[in-house]
Amino acid sequence: MTGEGITGRRRALTWLGHAARIALGVVFLAAGALKIVDVAEFARQTASYGLVGMRLAAVIAPGLIALEIALAAALLAGCHVRVAAIVTGLLLTLFIALEGWGIVQGRTESCGCFGAYVQRTPQEVILEDLLFTALAVMVVACLGAWEPRRRRLAVTVVVTATVATLGFAIASPLLPIDPWVTSLAVGRTVEDLGLAARLPAEVQASGLVAILDLADPASKEAAAALNDLAATPGLPRVLALTPSTEEEHAAFMWQAYPAFDLLTADRPLLKRLYRRLPLYFLVRSGRVEAIYPGPRPPAADLLLSGAS
Amino acid sequence: MTPKTAFPCAILAAAMLTVMAAVAPAPAAAAEVVCRANYDFCVEVNGVYPPDARFLVAETRGKFLVDIPSQAKSVLIDMPTRRAVSVPREGLKVDGATGLVRVTDTGGAGAPAYALSIEGPVMRFDADTSKVRILKVTERAPLVGPVTIEALAADRPEYREGMKAYTPDPVAIEALKKSKKAIEIEAFFGTWCPHCKVYMPKFLRVMQEAANPNIRLTLIGVPKNFGNEPGPWQGKTIQTIPSIAILYEGRELTRMSAHEGAVPEIDLATLLSAIK
Repeated sequence: MTGEGITGRRRALTWLGHAARIALGVVFLAAGALKIVDVAEFARQTASYGLVGMRLAAVIAPGLIALEIALAAALLAGCHVRVAAIVTGLLLTLFIALEGWGIVQGRTESCGCFGAYVQRTPQEVILEDLLFTALAVMVVACLGAWEPRRRRLAVTVVVTATVATLGFAIASPLLPIDPWVTSLAVGRTVEDLGLAARLPAEVQASGLVAILDLADPASKEAAAALNDLAATPGLPRVLALTPSTEEEHAAFMWQAYPAFDLLTADRPLLKRLYRRLPLYFLVRSGRVEAIYPGPRPPAADLLLSGAS
Repeated sequence: MTPKTAFPCAILAAAMLTVMAAVAPAPAAAAEVVCRANYDFCVEVNGVYPPDARFLVAETRGKFLVDIPSQAKSVLIDMPTRRAVSVPREGLKVDGATGLVRVTDTGGAGAPAYALSIEGPVMRFDADTSKVRILKVTERAPLVGPVTIEALAADRPEYREGMKAYTPDPVAIEALKKSKKAIEIEAFFGTWCPHCKVYMPKFLRVMQEAANPNIRLTLIGVPKNFGNEPGPWQGKTIQTIPSIAILYEGRELTRMSAHEGAVPEIDLATLLSAIK
């Protein structure tokens, strides 16, 4: 092969490496961005593997999101690309191992790699992660020790992105971003929310729908207040939906005595509607008329007036 | 007191007692309790599940009713006091239109009462010779293997009542009735699966309404660990349940989307219309 041929091949490989670097960076950026809007759900999904408890998962989740964004920023800005690609590959290998372990344990829930809003089977997750690992290998193999011209700027970008992400991830549960990241909005129909088949006609006509996490102690207080509303004449029919397990549902029945209909529903179906629970919304003529964030349901007079 | 004076005193006392009894307020009748059937829970009596047994949730906070007509037994439960009181079945008034059950006689002081206990998700009490347990329907031993719609509906009230409660789209049902395309449907489901409990009754009602001999349904119950158990589900690449495979001319065409919000009659009619 001539020198020109070797140079051409090397150039092609370098371009391939850059393409892989940018693709992997975009994937990790998207993964981090989708998770950051609902850190609590990502923590729950992390804890659901059973390897760490909920408290530790709540600490790990923002850190993991910040790490993903840092790796994405490093790959995109070209800061220590080889190290970033190797760490990315190792992280993906860990995800694959976790998912494989989950399958062996009979787990069917998606991993939460792309937050609560993208649902895939564990098998699909493993396939995706293998593809991304191949991209990481391509970056290492094709780019070698490549460095960008403005190294200091790249380092600044990575540090800024990491610090900003960590801060946003910690503050995220308190930020009023629900209207932009959930499907629940005033004026939406029950069909839009995917609840037409779950809500009885009476509730669709006029009902107060609560979404409760039965494992949360706040739900017992919410149930007591909902019982009062259910017993007040003239109010919309009260119904609660929960993404909790069948066991939690049964235990809640014997402890909180809900005197209203309490239905378990598919978590992915409900998850699109909330970031924090409990949450309440008023339905009239098949449309969401008002949304009431928890922990307590709206007062009876507010429901009578129908105001939000 | 002499016998002469004692007799008029006794008469006077008796008269006063009679007057007092007449004017004194009668003991307050216990308020009636209105209950609604809940098919998420089932009633186990001595290890078996009477098909007519129902668990009902009262509109009054903390009260539940367990009704077992075939054993002439009705028990009103008061959770805050952890007591179960036998109530006369003739005191239960069923509203045919709403299905609500009114317990007019909530059991007086002399009614048999039983202590109840909660063990995690299970409520239990012993009523005379009967050991009663209230548990989630998904906790019952699963139905495994091929089963007919009729047998399933007879054995599982949650499916029977779910089928009754569902009103399919009439236009889609008409299309299914008229379809000339001979298809086979293999439906794998689990009586232990909460998603199946929501979706399958709707799907089975559609099958009943369509009543089209060109659409042949094979209904197969799968066990919890169906991935490791031998059975007709093996080799069918079932990753989630319910899993509803549509076969045409011996080949699998597709699987129906069986999530909770799916509308089976419309999905099936659309699939049939797409077959060339």
